[in-house]
Amino acid sequence: MLKMNNLSRIYRSETIQTYALRDFELKVNPGEFVAVTGPSGSGKSTFLNVAGLLDSFDAGSYELDGVNVQGLSDDELSRLRNEKIGFVFQNYNLIPDFSLFDNVDMPLRYRGFNAKERKRRIEHALQQVGLASRQNYLPSQLSGGQQQRVAIARALAGEPKILLADEPTGNLDSLMARQVMELLHSLNQQGSTIIMVTHDPDQARSIPRNVQVIDGQITDHSIYSPLSSASGQGA
Amino acid sequence: MEMFAYYCRLSMHNFNRTPLFFILMVSSLAVGVGVFIANLAILRTMSSDPIPHKSEQIFNVSMSTWPDANGKQGKPMPILRYVDAMHLLENNVASHTLVHYETAAYVRDPDASNLQRQFARVRATNADFFALTEAPFAFGGSWQQDRAQQLVLGHKMNQQLFGGINSVGKTIDIFDQLYQIVGVLKPWQLKPIFYDAAGTRAFRQTDDIFLPLEKAIDSELGIRGSRSAAGRFESMKKTREQDVYYLQAFVQLDNPQQKNDFQQYLDNYSQSLKQTGQHPLPINNRLLDVNQWLEFNNVVDQRMVAFALASSLFLVVCIFNASSLLLSRYHSGKFETALRRAIGANRKQIFYQGLIESLLVGLASAVLSLLLAWLFLQFSKSLFPRLENIAQFTTELLVLGIVIAISTTFISTLYPLLRTCRGPVSNELK
Repeated sequence: MLKMNNLSRIYRSETIQTYALRDFELKVNPGEFVAVTGPSGSGKSTFLNVAGLLDSFDAGSYELDGVNVQGLSDDELSRLRNEKIGFVFQNYNLIPDFSLFDNVDMPLRYRGFNAKERKRRIEHALQQVGLASRQNYLPSQLSGGQQQRVAIARALAGEPKILLADEPTGNLDSLMARQVMELLHSLNQQGSTIIMVTHDPDQARSIPRNVQVIDGQITDHSIYSPLSSASGQGA
Repeated sequence: MEMFAYYCRLSMHNFNRTPLFFILMVSSLAVGVGVFIANLAILRTMSSDPIPHKSEQIFNVSMSTWPDANGKQGKPMPILRYVDAMHLLENNVASHTLVHYETAAYVRDPDASNLQRQFARVRATNADFFALTEAPFAFGGSWQQDRAQQLVLGHKMNQQLFGGINSVGKTIDIFDQLYQIVGVLKPWQLKPIFYDAAGTRAFRQTDDIFLPLEKAIDSELGIRGSRSAAGRFESMKKTREQDVYYLQAFVQLDNPQQKNDFQQYLDNYSQSLKQTGQHPLPINNRLLDVNQWLEFNNVVDQRMVAFALASSLFLVVCIFNASSLLLSRYHSGKFETALRRAIGANRKQIFYQGLIESLLVGLASAVLSLLLAWLFLQFSKSLFPRLENIAQFTTELLVLGIVIAISTTFISTLYPLLRTCRGPVSNELK
């Protein structure tokens, strides 16, 4: 599904160059749920931006669902993002004066679906996150957890190959965080591939596969059993 | 088409989000475009070709026939003596020749119960006037005899005296003489009136009445336009013999050969005057076509040209102003753009959305700018009545106004929009 080989991302200033990712190696298989952990500044977000085709890389190779992304045009990258990737952000990033329906509709518009197909997908996605009855609400009429679920619905509506979540529970209290995590686990059990950046070690332990990033490199791979995963969800 | 509708919807959404911003932007562009269009309207009328299909074939005749060596320094004069004008009318070179002077009269319908007379601007001319200027007849035609007690009525005077009916055959009382109407013109307005372009006369209303030249002189209808005389003259009839310069002449010369022949005709005439001792100065006759003639008379007011330049600069300032407003708006909207890019919009789609928004802003500023331009023209006319026939809004200008408003909006949008499309995505999203 996702394969990064010797990938490097370098930020350059006039006097200094900093490796945000150095010889980064990662392979994620279809249906996997991967937690990416690491201290601040370790390169987690850069990894997610590169994986989500929001940022470029300087060396190495990156294959997404069998497509080598190196040298692709803006059009091609945008299409890949639209068709294969769903984003879930820490701040939800919903348009505040759009209804839930219109927020979820956004990526589908750029995909070129007709009105009937868009409606079907939006209703299905909102149903998946348990908000089908509130499609005409504005985000401000929902709790933080519900807003994050709308963001997940927006990511799911395009039926992406992979879901990239950047600290999706970072702005939520523990109850809402648990609800969102339960939703992500349930999506994973239905077959979604998810990569999630998190600071929370308990949350990470609830996820079957953990990858720790330090100084732009993967330093540890841990695989948790379903039993430990289940016990970690409540932490 | 569906995306176009979506972009329109997003634009309307953006207008509702920040109405003050859009009002400012639309107003800024509309004021600039409105002032520019209003000036353009005036300048275009002033510099327009009144008879484009044959302006290069119609020539003003200016001659140097001053009888002594003093005063006129041998420059060609655009006003001619009666004898010189009659000699011109005898030429068999030009396709059409017209000679005229302006006079005025108080006129009335003799059959009307009302004794009140109306002021009328009268053009005393020869019958060829109508063929050369292509004045359109609604009823009847020109007179056939130079001394006929007949006239051609302008559209407006026909409206005033007879309510616009076919008045051919009726009579008009001019200074207690009855003239028979032989023709009535359709609404007709040359802009500028090339055959009387001196001073501020080029943009007046067309004449009310056209009279046979000889009859006007016989009837002692005085000269209202430019004149110059070597001595005193006691009556109009005397101008036939005296050195009184007051008649303007135009000829239609359809090809260069005809023009050369006519120039030769003029010069031969001057030479004959010289030989008989009537013209001591060098031979200096001039033919200027309609546009050269209008330029010679400075029909385009140079102050208006300066004002138009100033309004162009003002428009540029307005574009910069709108552009900087947009730059700040796009800056504050970076999050939404980045989000749209992240979820799959490519740069072209973001660009098209911005273009559609600027098209809508452009349309709004077009409507407002045309309204402002119209108000500006009305204000100009009330302030300077002589602009009545100049400061006019045409369909062509309406279309031009819309095009300019939309183009200026596009121009002001372009740089901010390109910056937005090129902006980084990942920095804006957390």
